[in-house]
Amino acid sequence: MKKSTSTSLENKTGRSRVLLATLAALVTAILILTAFILPAEFNRDPLGIGEVLGIKGLSEQPLVETVAIEKTKYHQDTVSFQLLPFEFVEYKYPLAQGSAVIYSWTATDTVSFDFHGEPENGPEGFAESFSLGQGKHEHGTFTAPFNGIHGWFWENRGASTVTVTLTTAGFYTESLKFRDGFVGTRSFE
Amino acid sequence: MIGLQALCSPRLWLILGLMLVPALAVAHNISGANARFVEGLEGSAVVPFMYLGAKHMVTGYDHLLYLLGVVFFLRRLREVLLYVTLFTLGHSITLMAGVLLELNVNAYLVDTIIGLSVAYKAFENINGFKQVLGWQLNARAAVFIFGLCHGLGLATKVQGLSLSADSLVTNMLSFNVGVEIGQALALGLIVLVLAQWRQRINFEKHAFIANTLLMGAGFVLAGYQFAGYLWQ
Repeated sequence: MKKSTSTSLENKTGRSRVLLATLAALVTAILILTAFILPAEFNRDPLGIGEVLGIKGLSEQPLVETVAIEKTKYHQDTVSFQLLPFEFVEYKYPLAQGSAVIYSWTATDTVSFDFHGEPENGPEGFAESFSLGQGKHEHGTFTAPFNGIHGWFWENRGASTVTVTLTTAGFYTESLKFRDGFVGTRSFE
Repeated sequence: MIGLQALCSPRLWLILGLMLVPALAVAHNISGANARFVEGLEGSAVVPFMYLGAKHMVTGYDHLLYLLGVVFFLRRLREVLLYVTLFTLGHSITLMAGVLLELNVNAYLVDTIIGLSVAYKAFENINGFKQVLGWQLNARAAVFIFGLCHGLGLATKVQGLSLSADSLVTNMLSFNVGVEIGQALALGLIVLVLAQWRQRINFEKHAFIANTLLMGAGFVLAGYQFAGYLWQ
């Protein structure tokens, strides 16, 4: 066979054949674009074919869920705890998955805190921490990642008495306070 | 020309294997540096960026279609290496320059040009420029120039990965090495399949059709990206 160094179909294509092929490629591309890609990907349907085929708006992004409808009106709650040195307290709300709470807590001095949740039907003693550390305050919005009891643990590791004040608003119906081995419940209904 | 016997010869496999060596050698060095970087908490991520570079190349059908067009009629490995080196040189220059100079080129427009590069190469492959215009840009110059365009596209992708300033160069180089590894892997397969295909009696007829389809695909890619530029 002849030693070939050609890098194309040299001398093997005619001018009209090349023009025809190019035209075919262009027309096919424009057809694919206007009939399928523009309607499906960009919600634009110049030929109306996308509508007929039912692919118009195929890739439209669904609206981000910014609204989570609840059955009852929300409740507000403000509580204060006085913590002597090395005293601790837990204050939590039973919440359904997706239910939100707006919260703010402040302390008169630095406390250790652990904002966590215990899943319903979870293993005994299992808790997932959402925010953990030491500080004098934290404010935020919380959306429960699972059904369970969600709330704060505060501990005073300092030498003087500290007061922690928590204010929340949310769709809880009761709160639970764990202190000195006792559980106190409060109903908001 | 690679014959069927040649395809079974150890020599071909040796050369194909050697194609991978430069990339792997560099990768090895950087992997060694990786440990030190992690210890020094520099915030660089060599392996993740290499992986992202390789993934971008292997799953980037625009790059793959262009490479297919480039090597379609390259019967000798020496030629394959020459063209691929020119392409690599081109895209490495603009990838690094684009990231270092923080060039903000619209990704959709770059991808439109990349789509057109596929159509260009296919048109060149069916000898369109000589037949229709009577003149053709040197194929090697064209592959270098389009390499520059593809590199701009890569640069916009890396910049989208929010690089921290202290590890910018390391991460960018990692990405580039990953791109070359991905390219070598993809090319190995493309070259082998083409070598087989060339043995068929109807290859030249099929080649014409295949390049016409390739041209159409290039136009579709270009239109798709340009629509993205207009409406997204």
